[in-house]
Amino acid sequence: MQPKKNELNRIKENMWYQIMEVTEWFGEMAERYRLVKDFNRAAKTSFIAGIAPTLLEAKITKGDSSYKHAFSKWLGGGFRIKALSGQSLEKSELIEIGRVVLDNEELTRKMISLGWDTLEVHSNQGYNGAKWALKDYANIGGFLN
Amino acid sequence: MQNILLQVKTDSFVAETVSNTDSTTFSIWLWVALIELAIIVFLLFKLKKEGNDLKFGNLSKDKIRNAKKSDVDMDNLMNSINGSKDLYKELSRTCHPDRFINSDKQKLAEEIFQDISKHKRDFKKLTELKERAITELNINFK
Repeated sequence: MQPKKNELNRIKENMWYQIMEVTEWFGEMAERYRLVKDFNRAAKTSFIAGIAPTLLEAKITKGDSSYKHAFSKWLGGGFRIKALSGQSLEKSELIEIGRVVLDNEELTRKMISLGWDTLEVHSNQGYNGAKWALKDYANIGGFLN
Repeated sequence: MQNILLQVKTDSFVAETVSNTDSTTFSIWLWVALIELAIIVFLLFKLKKEGNDLKFGNLSKDKIRNAKKSDVDMDNLMNSINGSKDLYKELSRTCHPDRFINSDKQKLAEEIFQDISKHKRDFKKLTELKERAITELNINFK
């Protein structure tokens, strides 16, 4: 009788774990879209206030498969920041935007844990752009702390 | 009578042939399904193995949960994108320790300068350091 009860408990725990996994997946997707929305809101506010000369927009892209890591999302690993309007950006300015994002350790770690693996910064004209592998800029010790 | 017997014989032969074809077809589809299952299991196993070999594969999901829920100050990020470069240049010029040689503020200037270099792309930190430079180093920014 006892082994049967243990088995039942194990199945219950397993089912509960699966439910939690599904809930977590939905929470993660919501958090991804919230981050993109927050970025776009802040970019819009600073453009309207005249702080930023160029309006930036973030969106989710496919990313680069060679940059993938253990938490990468399939077909959703790219975080693209694109200049929409206003003053066009030089290559050095694109690199500077990327470096500011990568220097923000908290943001980089959050992006990795939410499944992004590639950071792309694109200009508003032509195919000018730069991309980085997020895994190269994450402080692994930070995760453990 | 003979005709009826012949008809019954023919019918039973047709039925046998049909049942034979059915069993062969079933057997083929069974093998196809089994091979498909084997391929799926192999691919899943390979995917899991690759996941473990990738970077951060040794980290459990519990450990990254905190990173997922952390709040990022996006306004500061935007200010950093647009204003940190100029602010860094200004601060690194005015707070350079060489400007405080042989004075009692040299050590403090070195400390502040190190912080400025460390947070060169963080607008919020640079603004705090600017305030510190004004109060502690008595620097007048124009």
